[in-house]
Amino acid sequence: MITPDDPSRQPDTARRGHPSAPRQSPFHPATPASYGLLAQFDSAADTLRAAAMVRDAGYRHWDVHTPFPVRGMDAAMGLAPSRVGWWAAAGGALGFALGMWMVWWMNAHDYPIVVGGKPLFSPIPALPVAFELSILLAALGALGGMLWLNRMPRLHHPLFNSDRFKLATHDGFFLVIETADPAFAGDAARQLLRRAGSRHIEEVTD
Amino acid sequence: MSTSTLAAPASSGEPPAPGRRFRRCCQGLTAAGAVVCLAGAFTQTRQFAHSYLLAFTGYLSVCVGSLCLVMIHHLCDASWSVPIRRVMEHLAFLAPVLAVLFLPIAVLAPSHLYDWMQADPQTAPALRGQALRLSLPWFHGTTLAVFAIWTWLAWRLRHWSLQQDGASPNQPAGATLRFPETLLAGLSRALGHPTEPGLVVLATRMMRIHASYGICLMALTLTLAAVLWIKALEHPWHSAMYGVYYFAGSLWVTLATLYVLAVVLERAGPLRGVLRRRHLHDLAVLFFAFTLFHAYIAFSQYFLIWNAALPQETVFYVKREAGSWWGMGLLLVFGHFLVPFLAWLRADAKVWLPLAVPLCVWAWLMHYADLAFNIMPLIHPGGFRLHYLDLGCLAWMGGVLGLVFHRHFAAHRPYPIRDPRLAEAVAAPSSPPLPASTMPS
Repeated sequence: MITPDDPSRQPDTARRGHPSAPRQSPFHPATPASYGLLAQFDSAADTLRAAAMVRDAGYRHWDVHTPFPVRGMDAAMGLAPSRVGWWAAAGGALGFALGMWMVWWMNAHDYPIVVGGKPLFSPIPALPVAFELSILLAALGALGGMLWLNRMPRLHHPLFNSDRFKLATHDGFFLVIETADPAFAGDAARQLLRRAGSRHIEEVTD
Repeated sequence: MSTSTLAAPASSGEPPAPGRRFRRCCQGLTAAGAVVCLAGAFTQTRQFAHSYLLAFTGYLSVCVGSLCLVMIHHLCDASWSVPIRRVMEHLAFLAPVLAVLFLPIAVLAPSHLYDWMQADPQTAPALRGQALRLSLPWFHGTTLAVFAIWTWLAWRLRHWSLQQDGASPNQPAGATLRFPETLLAGLSRALGHPTEPGLVVLATRMMRIHASYGICLMALTLTLAAVLWIKALEHPWHSAMYGVYYFAGSLWVTLATLYVLAVVLERAGPLRGVLRRRHLHDLAVLFFAFTLFHAYIAFSQYFLIWNAALPQETVFYVKREAGSWWGMGLLLVFGHFLVPFLAWLRADAKVWLPLAVPLCVWAWLMHYADLAFNIMPLIHPGGFRLHYLDLGCLAWMGGVLGLVFHRHFAAHRPYPIRDPRLAEAVAAPSSPPLPASTMPS
């Protein structure tokens, strides 16, 4: 991991000047692009308050990282209800239809055979199969939807360039405003974060 | 703890206006129902007996459902059910009243309800294997035992809850324990609890002790009751899941009842400032779970009988496919399961009162239809018929139980003010109180 405050592990400029180094490779841009501003807070309550301020300031591309779920953070960030439920519902409906179709296809179409004088196809014995498949595909739909909406899996994230960000899994509370935000103007964002009570703000590059 | 500042004093004397209206309504129902019942009980005794049993099992559902929920509350050390715990305790304590209300069924049972009581075991082959289970001493003994157990549990759970209300935070327990409970407390002491708790702690501990063995007794007694009072109407027929079928329907309708009661009591005042949107959501989630659970049980029973296709089992459903009972069966599939399932699938719909309150009333109708589907084909094989005695029994019994409930509710604090989790239940920063605008007109 390359960090700006660790010179021994930051050989970019030297290496980039070397004739053998690839020039203007998309993987090694000449000047690192700014990803956003990372602000650290001391407590969950501070982060909650800061999130409400950033929400009210009209930012859209920003996120909060805390070591544990903070109650009320969804509202403070102005997040809409999760859309994962729709994925689960779609998976469940698909599983139900698939189960019914499978039993019909096997018992009444592909290899019709009369058992106990019962009709070749009836939804009643097919229901357990359809039910189980609904559960299975609803669960898989929820998992897949969660990954898709989170844009996962991904191999790299610019935030990992910051050493301090490692504390997000320990005792650090962070709020990031991305440079890509339409409302982002470097100094205003920095001042907002400082007003919100952050004692450490750094720029993260990609 | 500063909960004493939250507590409204127990209302004494004349109840406030909404309470008075409720009481007048119950008095009216009781009087009208009594007239109707008396008019039909002697001329159409068989119809009356079945209508009475139908109404009885309907109200019994709410009583035993509440008793189960109170015990689950104590066993899980729950906070979400604290605001409605007192309501559940009063509903559960209708058990002794229901025991008295059972008397007409006990009187009419041999002549008008259960034909196994008339059948000769020598000639009726279906009785041969169940000679003990279907005998009069067993019927009366079990009925007595079941009501005794429910009354004991509901009484003790409510007793300790009210004791806790009146206790001051550091009040010593003193000599509040009497005979069988001294044994239970001794057992808990032997299991490592500190020896001399204050009254507040002792009350919580005793409620948990009663809940711990009570929940096991509930499983047993509820199954016995459902099998003996409803399933035995058709004694040659068997279903191993009949007890859990009645249990699932009972908890379902109890949760719907509690939802409506919680909303009404919040509007009327007693639960204002205590009941949060979160609590309604939790009630609705549990109701939703029981919607699925009941459908699962009902379908499993049908599925197994359909698959095995044994004549002595299918007779139950063959009878219920005749005439308009077929339509009633479909109504249960769609109305008891699919409509509540789809209506409350979304999280925000669970606290949207214009949908929730009508849905809970609908649940009452569906539970009644479910019980009618089980009981009524015996006297109306051609199809469902709403008899005036059905309504008379519902009105009379509902009126009587409503009056008793109101009396209990008005005499005590509306919620347990010293519940160890009250502060946690009330102080939830992310759950604002109900907005006034969401109430249906």
